[in-house]
Amino acid sequence: MSPAPTPLLDRRLVIVTGKGGTGKTSVAAALGLAAARSGRRVLVAEVGRDEHVPRLLAPGSAPVGYAGRELAPGLTVLRIDPFEALGEYLGLQLGVRPVVDLVLRNRAFRQLMEASPGWRELITLGKVWHLEQMQLPDGSPRFDLILVDAPATGHGLTFLDVPRVVGAAVRAGPLRKHAGLVEAMIEDRERTLLLPVALAEELPARETAELALRVRRDVGIAVDRVVVNAVAGAPFPPGLDDLDRLLAKLPEATALEGLPSAKTLASCAAHLRSRFELNRYWAAEIGRMTELPIVELPHLARGIRGPLDLERLVPALVGAPRANAA
Amino acid sequence: MKDVRDPGALVRARRIVVCVGAGGVGKTTLAAAIALGAAREGHRVLVLTIDPARRLADALGVGALGNEPRAIDRDVLGRLGVPEHAALSALMLDMKRTFDDLVERFAESEEARERILGNRIYQHVSDALAGSAEYSAMEKVFEIASSGEFDRIVVDTPPSQHALDFLEAPQRLLEFLDSALVKLLLHPAFAAGRFGFRIFQRSARRVLQVIEKVSGMAFLEDVSEFLLAFEGMSEGFRERARKVEALLTGPQTGFVLAAGPAAESVAHAESMLGRLEASGVPLAGIVLNRARLWPERGSPPAEIPEPGMLDRATESLARALEALDERPADARAAASAAIAAASEYARLVRRDEESTRSLRERADRLACFYCRVPELPRDVHELDGLARISAALFGGRSAAR
Repeated sequence: MSPAPTPLLDRRLVIVTGKGGTGKTSVAAALGLAAARSGRRVLVAEVGRDEHVPRLLAPGSAPVGYAGRELAPGLTVLRIDPFEALGEYLGLQLGVRPVVDLVLRNRAFRQLMEASPGWRELITLGKVWHLEQMQLPDGSPRFDLILVDAPATGHGLTFLDVPRVVGAAVRAGPLRKHAGLVEAMIEDRERTLLLPVALAEELPARETAELALRVRRDVGIAVDRVVVNAVAGAPFPPGLDDLDRLLAKLPEATALEGLPSAKTLASCAAHLRSRFELNRYWAAEIGRMTELPIVELPHLARGIRGPLDLERLVPALVGAPRANAA
Repeated sequence: MKDVRDPGALVRARRIVVCVGAGGVGKTTLAAAIALGAAREGHRVLVLTIDPARRLADALGVGALGNEPRAIDRDVLGRLGVPEHAALSALMLDMKRTFDDLVERFAESEEARERILGNRIYQHVSDALAGSAEYSAMEKVFEIASSGEFDRIVVDTPPSQHALDFLEAPQRLLEFLDSALVKLLLHPAFAAGRFGFRIFQRSARRVLQVIEKVSGMAFLEDVSEFLLAFEGMSEGFRERARKVEALLTGPQTGFVLAAGPAAESVAHAESMLGRLEASGVPLAGIVLNRARLWPERGSPPAEIPEPGMLDRATESLARALEALDERPADARAAASAAIAAASEYARLVRRDEESTRSLRERADRLACFYCRVPELPRDVHELDGLARISAALFGGRSAAR
């Protein structure tokens, strides 16, 4: 384990991964906000059918689409659609956009592409590579930091593993060369980081552990921390840690004014405590199983609805991760 | 499905139960719990999972599972109330292996088989080709259903991005093999590297030219060779795919949709319900997993304490706490905290009820059952916890509406 991980925002490319519902989109958006405010030129790239980031950063704004738009000073958001990326790629390769458009509209071609595995991931990462290469007239990078909100598929890793697989399956030609460039970008341990986001529950904990294991074994991408999102706060005020057990001692017939029965009160308190303890347990387990430092984000009772909510995630996110006390 | 009022009726009336749902809702655990319930009713049951995270093996406490059914220890089953003549096995699908088996079965000749299995494209894409993961799962279900070794099969479906992909997988695979481009690639001259663009379909030719420019000729040759070898087996394969589809949509099968109470999980479940209905799949019921239930009958009160009663409620609870042997240092503070906790938990229960109302109503309209499985104090990862979920599904209060 490297003692001092590179600060998150000093990377060039951060790929945020996690199952649906873990809040990885919020994490990507909050990081984007923080980085832009620090004066960096930031891009948040969404992958998938729907746009979620614009809603968080600028509620009520119009879709940003493939071309993308600046939603806050220095903060651009776009959504990578595989077919659009394919069109752009083929256009660049062949130099004749009308032919490319004909091909893309061809029914048989679409059928073939719908059925073919892997190319979506490859072309999406290819687009990320292309964005990463973009420069301003003065030669400085167009984007200092690119945050990718990776698709919430069964294994976030399949996404990253495709360039390697293509490199192995395709013997020669431009495709192979480009797959190699993408692979090199992913495996650049200085510039690129995979940022897993998990919840402190059994399922995501185990999946994150498996992810960490496979990253070490199969993919050369750097991972230096795990974000554990929505960690519940203590259920009772200080000094009352045993509140539910205390309530359980009340006789069943206790007369209470304007309240449910003593038994119900005890049960409610027990539920809250159990939720909290489970949360604590699995947060620690994630650190132990992945052997990675963890970054805990607070649970926000109102949910995350806009930039103000995102702001509350920023301090913990950009701070140093907590080394796990194994 | 009017004859199926609850999970118990489901496993009595249907041979195959397919659990669908988004990733993360506890589908694997529910599948295992349904299988356990069926075994308790005296059936010989297999639960099949496609989960790459191998959670079922953990839940069943049997370590890693193989591509063959593995029986769960008789002593353990006995403890769980599974009768002597019943059995419960688990199978964790090895997708690559299943697909290889398929190739072995349907390849025209020894040589064709070797050609497919040795093809570089096949080696890299058989895991992912045209939903082959999903297809493999259904193929395995068919194989086991035909073997007669088990009288009930519970299937946990793959956590694909669009969780119903597996239903369409056979069809898509066939469409793929039938598509004009693939037909073109199947031209023997092509595989032999003598592809001279002497092809009549101009649009397909143009497409191939584009692919060739980008990927290189060698890649197209490999693809062509792969498809060529594959084509020989496509008739047997086609027949098989039809049978698999018939089995899944037939009267022996019932689908259970698993959902969680979080708003996004409910939204996901709803869109899946729409797709299930559209594809004519027999939906038996909806299970809401990890639901927060109010400890008393019915819904929680709108406010805790009752409006305008905060002082008196706190006072009376503080007095009751004072009377305990182990009285708290500050009874009033404890009373306030207890009231706040009850109020918070009631809010969570109401929020779950609110977020899942549409699902409940939908279940009513579709005449399928709706079960809530309570959130357990400890996440289930052993058979005992599984038994509790099974009990919630097959009897007791949480099975009631």
